[in-house]
Amino acid sequence: MNFKKSFSSRLSLYVLLVSASLMIVLTLLLSLIATAVLRKNAIEKAELTLNNTVLEIEKVITEVERSVDNLDWVVQQNLGNEEFMYEVTREMVSANPNVIGSAVAFEPGFYKGRSYFAPYSYIGDVSGELHTIQLGNENYDYPLLDWYQIPKLLGHAYWSEPYYDDGGGGQRMSTYSMPLTDENGEFFGILTADLSLEWMSDMVSAIKPYEDSYTFIIGRNAAYIAHPDNEKVLNETIFTSAMAMTDTIAFEIGRDMLAGNRDMRRFMNDDAASFIVYGPLSNGWSVALICSYEDVFGMAMAVIMLIIFFLILGLVALFFGSRSIIRRMTTPIVQFGNAAMTIAKGNFNASIPEVYSKDEIRTLRNSLAYMQRSINTYIDELKTTTASNERYESELNIAREIQSSMLPHNFPIRSDLDLYAEVQPAKEVGGDLYDFLVVGDSVFFLVGDVSGKGVPAALFMAITRAAFRFIGALGLPMAEVMSRVNFSLCDGNQNNMFVTIFAGRLDLKTGEMEYCNAGHNPIVIVDPAGKASFLRAKPNLAAGLLENFPYEDEHMKLESGSRLILYTDGVTEAEREDKAQFGEQALLEWAAGLSETISSKGAAHDLNAHVKMFTAGADQNDDITIMAIHYLKNNNTKNQE
Amino acid sequence: MNVTINEEGAKALVKLEGRLDTTNADQFMKDITPLMNGSHTEIEMDCTEMEYTSSQGLRMFLMLQKTVSSRGAKLVLKNMKPHVKEVFDITGFSHIINIL
Repeated sequence: MNFKKSFSSRLSLYVLLVSASLMIVLTLLLSLIATAVLRKNAIEKAELTLNNTVLEIEKVITEVERSVDNLDWVVQQNLGNEEFMYEVTREMVSANPNVIGSAVAFEPGFYKGRSYFAPYSYIGDVSGELHTIQLGNENYDYPLLDWYQIPKLLGHAYWSEPYYDDGGGGQRMSTYSMPLTDENGEFFGILTADLSLEWMSDMVSAIKPYEDSYTFIIGRNAAYIAHPDNEKVLNETIFTSAMAMTDTIAFEIGRDMLAGNRDMRRFMNDDAASFIVYGPLSNGWSVALICSYEDVFGMAMAVIMLIIFFLILGLVALFFGSRSIIRRMTTPIVQFGNAAMTIAKGNFNASIPEVYSKDEIRTLRNSLAYMQRSINTYIDELKTTTASNERYESELNIAREIQSSMLPHNFPIRSDLDLYAEVQPAKEVGGDLYDFLVVGDSVFFLVGDVSGKGVPAALFMAITRAAFRFIGALGLPMAEVMSRVNFSLCDGNQNNMFVTIFAGRLDLKTGEMEYCNAGHNPIVIVDPAGKASFLRAKPNLAAGLLENFPYEDEHMKLESGSRLILYTDGVTEAEREDKAQFGEQALLEWAAGLSETISSKGAAHDLNAHVKMFTAGADQNDDITIMAIHYLKNNNTKNQE
Repeated sequence: MNVTINEEGAKALVKLEGRLDTTNADQFMKDITPLMNGSHTEIEMDCTEMEYTSSQGLRMFLMLQKTVSSRGAKLVLKNMKPHVKEVFDITGFSHIINIL
């Protein structure tokens, strides 16, 4: 699945991450608490077990000691009966299940004629049968042995260090020896009971609060008395074991045990983290119980592993579950996205899925529906507007055509005159105009430029043209023509529209030219020799502004063969992209370069081409009007093209 | 076309900058409305930074001139660049607008 693209997958992943971290923290806490509780319980349990073990062993030891004490009395009562002493030892062994041998050893000569007298009863190792013998002879000089000598010298009962008896029982045992004294306190013998240590090993092996835990007992000389590993018993001491360990604490523990102390210590038992509890027995031995933590926590670890397993299972279920829910909840969003795309592609009536909840999804749906309605309304409005714009546009085109058709397109065909004019309209309707009228041998002509653009300019241009048509035909002096046109234009001109006009009348017979300039650009005269110059006429004032302005006309004689170039500022102010204008100088240079034989139409087209070359594709923002007049020599019979 | 109007009592000092053509003539009209509707007795326009005016622009000056004259106030255009002044001269506007 693509987590970058799918919102639901990503959201599920976030939920999963948060839940997972929460659960990990909880599990850790749980583990910490569990191990702490387990450790405490384990130590308590171990100490309890140790106490029980100590009590149990003490019970046996005490029993043996008490039996021996009791026997002392029996022996004292029956000293006169030598044979009865055999009976005493037999009784001792058969009455005590843990006692495997017992002897009453007398001082040499205690009984007359007997240098050695030590009746001894023991259980044979294989048959379990009870044997009774007399121990002492020249080869077994018991009064010199430890078990006899030490209690005799000490004057009190004594537990021997454990030993392996290969003479009697053939078992590991410890002997309790008690000195016998008469009423005068005179020592006369030793009473012994052999305590088998085999049962102790068995018992110790059975003490297992945890599977791998074990118990051992050491004697006063640190040798093992009981240990699960039988090889070690009587062969090794706690210090030989400690030497094999890296943890030096084992030595301290050994010393502490020998000192008869009771404690709980942690240490590394052969590199396994463990703890040991130990305590002394009354006879100077020490019992210890070792538990490894792994053992203690094993169960807990298994439980935690199980929890983690279910946790992962739960998280996976959570992920898929939440993804499914989120996916179901976000389905409308996907549908909205598709609907929006459909709408965006132009199907504005695409249906938006219904939502029945009252949440943010609903809000989104409503917004989308609102947007759709707005778009539809807007598009309807736009259609209406576009339609009306198109109508307006087409009406403007018609207006432009009407405007263009108002201007004369049938140019005079005469041997003495070549006149041509044209308007290159800008995109927007403008207010340029030209007109001419040939009456007899004179030609009346004008070029004008209405201020501004658009329909107002076009209308004003129409009025101007109508005024000239009417007034121009009356044959009045040019100043009078201009004054009257001006007067009629000023009438009702509240918008301060105005028009600049150059108007003239040329007598083709004489070359006399009468002209009046109403604020128009200076016209260009090219003399027969091809020299071009501006005709700097009096500017007067653009027409339509002041109704009583005194227009003045001027006169000049035009040589035959001369050309007149009339134009509007669309020519001189034609702009390139960098706002540079074509200008008057370029116009003059162009005029000077005109071919002598070119027709007026050719000249007008050539100027247009020059202007277009200059503007190099920049938008034409004003009408370009050019009128070219060639006053031909009288004998020239050249015809209009 | 940038129009900056400063008032010194009844006198308005106006600074004109840039080109005045068909595309911004309407905006220019709005910019000078305070002068048309105001009660200044004298309006002085500094044309040092004015680069160009179209015939539409001339019409705006004319309208301002007429409005200002009708309330007996004075309009003066100063420091006009020669090529701008030429437009006023050619069209004869120099006759009806006071250019110093």
